[in-house]
Amino acid sequence: MGERVNADELKSQVLPVLLGGTRHETGEQLLAPGTDREHAVLNALSLTGQVLRFTPPSSPNVFAVESWPRDERRIVPDRLRPHIFRLLDKCTEDSARALALTLEKQKLRPHPFDLPKLDGFIERYAERLGTTAQYWVQRETPAQQSRGYFEADELNADNWTESPLRARAKFLKALRNQDPEAGRKLMQKSWGAENPDSRVQLLSAFQIGLSAEDKPFLESIEKDRAPRVRAIVQRLHAAIAGTTADNPALAACMQRIQRSQSGLLKRRSALKLELPATVKEHETNRWIQEQFADVTVGDLSHAYEMSETELVEAAEKDNNLLFALALMASRENRFALLDGITDELPDAWGRMSGLSGDEDLRDDADELVHWAKALIKPKKWLPEIPFPAWSWLHRQMEGPLPAGIMREILASQIWSEQLDQEKKGPSLEIIQVICALCPRELRVVVRTQLEPLEAERKHKGSMLLEILDELESLT
Amino acid sequence: MAGVSLEKIEAIAPDQASLVAARKLVKPGGWLGLSADNSGLIWGECQGSGASPYRVVASEIDAGYKCTCPSRKFPCKHSLALMWMRAEGKIPFESAEGPQWVQDWVRRRRSGTGDAGGAEREEAAQPKSLVRATTDEAEEIDPKAQARAAAARDRSRRERETAIVAGLDDLDRWLIDQVEGGLAGFAAHAGKSCRSIAQRLVDAKAPGLASRLDSLPNRIYSLPEHARAMAAVEQLGQLHILAEAYRRQESLDPNLCADLRREVGWTQARESLLGEEAALCISGRWRVVGAISEVQPDRLRRLETWLWREGATDGPRAAVLLDFVPVASGQTRGAYRTGERMEATLVFYASARPLRALIKEMSSPAEECSAILELPNEDLAGAITEYEDALTRVPWINIWPMRFSEARVRRNGEKLFLCSTSGGRAALPMLMSQVSTVAPLLAMEKIDGFGLWDGYGFRLCFAQTPLGRWVSE
Repeated sequence: MGERVNADELKSQVLPVLLGGTRHETGEQLLAPGTDREHAVLNALSLTGQVLRFTPPSSPNVFAVESWPRDERRIVPDRLRPHIFRLLDKCTEDSARALALTLEKQKLRPHPFDLPKLDGFIERYAERLGTTAQYWVQRETPAQQSRGYFEADELNADNWTESPLRARAKFLKALRNQDPEAGRKLMQKSWGAENPDSRVQLLSAFQIGLSAEDKPFLESIEKDRAPRVRAIVQRLHAAIAGTTADNPALAACMQRIQRSQSGLLKRRSALKLELPATVKEHETNRWIQEQFADVTVGDLSHAYEMSETELVEAAEKDNNLLFALALMASRENRFALLDGITDELPDAWGRMSGLSGDEDLRDDADELVHWAKALIKPKKWLPEIPFPAWSWLHRQMEGPLPAGIMREILASQIWSEQLDQEKKGPSLEIIQVICALCPRELRVVVRTQLEPLEAERKHKGSMLLEILDELESLT
Repeated sequence: MAGVSLEKIEAIAPDQASLVAARKLVKPGGWLGLSADNSGLIWGECQGSGASPYRVVASEIDAGYKCTCPSRKFPCKHSLALMWMRAEGKIPFESAEGPQWVQDWVRRRRSGTGDAGGAEREEAAQPKSLVRATTDEAEEIDPKAQARAAAARDRSRRERETAIVAGLDDLDRWLIDQVEGGLAGFAAHAGKSCRSIAQRLVDAKAPGLASRLDSLPNRIYSLPEHARAMAAVEQLGQLHILAEAYRRQESLDPNLCADLRREVGWTQARESLLGEEAALCISGRWRVVGAISEVQPDRLRRLETWLWREGATDGPRAAVLLDFVPVASGQTRGAYRTGERMEATLVFYASARPLRALIKEMSSPAEECSAILELPNEDLAGAITEYEDALTRVPWINIWPMRFSEARVRRNGEKLFLCSTSGGRAALPMLMSQVSTVAPLLAMEKIDGFGLWDGYGFRLCFAQTPLGRWVSE
């Protein structure tokens, strides 16, 4: 390189030699007459390297068009953001859920810049955290597979299919209440695209406003591939016909129920559920749930020619049958009846808490309160090992318990024993779920009760209470 | 004097459990001798589980700290509790002069013994030593001994220069070997090749160059495959520039020479720089615009704190504070958080483009500042031009700070780019490691900010947006 070379020449002539190697090629272009070869090679290397350093990085001609949805929710105030990080770092699912529910209720959303750091939380609760969060969790989903981003109150018949199942079920129930025919047409339109779980959930809404006009649609789906769907269709048919005779599920249940007469002065019927010998003790609750999944209290009452109250009385000596009745009454929102059942079987909710599946999507806040009051009787029974049961309760309530129930829990012997320092003391998980279940007006009571405990045990629960207080005070 | 705030204490605590543990110590009953002087030092002794209480000292100026407890968390609960008590102001601190152990800590900090956050682990008691007792005596001033020491230092320096030059000759031979084999395939054997020459340079007392070579394979592997061969040409070319410049250092501008020697591995002690009258000192209001923590191949953690001088119209506007701590120490963060502001005088290491500095004097402690940082109204193209100018002056620059206004983040496939919004095609690819954390900025139409460019990828450190501040930490 005795003559001057420019940057282009270095790139076009010298660079290929450097890349290919000078072992097999003399690289004449690197040499100038009379110069030391090695020196020339090194000079060429450093000059070419610097030319490359000054070459601007290549950039694409086109970029993606971003389509972040509009999000009307307020962003969480900056002062709360570090506290939220600290809370969500190694907290229980109950604490995370309580936070998500409160953010939803207060129409707040996480700061967009925090989304990457809260990935797991956002993923699990996106549908409660606003459209930005929903967009975030789907950002890498191919367009044809992604859903739309909606607040629950923005749903209509046109965008209904794009929202999550919970929101769709709620929308359909509301529509069936107002206009059963419109609800049925909506279902018919989307039926083919729904997966089996969705079909079960949405079909359950058909109980609302059920009439003979629904028959053709039900007949069209009688042979659905999902057994649960077929069973629900049969039940609905039977309800329309006003007869339970054709409900095979009812027949199967009645085969398992033994009827006898008891009492001397006044003969009363007694009913007892006989479990198959193959069902082990730890499988009992699951078996009962499955066995009675497609039977209603009304079906049984009609079949045994008793009132529903008499049915409960007849089952009073058999906890398993009472549990079956409790499951049915809970599912059907028969709160007065449920209240009567739990007077005899106060641990019904403890037994329910061991069952998986959130089949009873109860979205109405008033319904939830009535259901909780009918089901939970702290003065009669509380679980000895509370954590899984209370965690289930928080999932069902989607928020705090009614104040009356919580007050009884906080005053109960079992909870006092939990707080006893000399014993093992409540676990981190129990404290957090109690704080999550605690309504706002009783947080001061819980704080006082937790005060003597070790900081390590109570700090997440205390942090949760503080954050919820702050979020709920935002207007 | 405004001390360390509760918010700062919360920010520097390693985790919530540390705060919880510190809370239990926030009571006078567990402490002896809680004191403060008028230069921002606070100290006390906290009774732990051992026989002797732990000695805890902290600086209210920069939240530096030291405790003699064996905890692996930094700062430990004792350090947090001491600062907490001071911040709350409910427990009195006696006004006093620092005892010897506090003065020792201050002296060691000034001499730069790797205590970025002030964390040090000192033996609970110095071993007794007759030899030390003898040498301590000998430290009294003796002109002949001083002359001998100076001659020895001179000799050592000449020997080192000779060793380095010999090492550079080996480096040249190694570079020739790489070129002979073809740099297109360099990446495939970079790890092994670089390790051997790096070791040679360590032996040649050129640890700076050795470190460059140790880091080179990872730098290349972090790039997409199609870019690795070009990167090899660039990086190896730079090594030759360094070698050749070193041989001709007498003819270089003194500031450039200082850059060069530092790059090769000559160091200047902190105390020496702090005492150097001719050193460039800049006072001002500095905002922390980036905080980076990375483990080097030599198992030291490099802590970088990037600063921006607010309202500057001349002189260096950016600065970087560097600290190195052993990975085994457990410390993962520096003393400052992005967004904090401090009034301080910085002293810069000599350089053709001054950047690395030390804090010479702090007029007000670093505190969280939510005010908008006023950045010069210069777009991305201007920032790139400034980088190129720096590159012409210091051809071996690896990392360069860039501030920009009115840019936006845009996406092409899986890659993100920082693009100018003011027309022109200036666009810098962003680091793949930041894709997830930067993604929310895709929704912002314009951002101003600060980041670091290494020639291949842009690391965004700090951005100001309509939704507030974004930081990379």
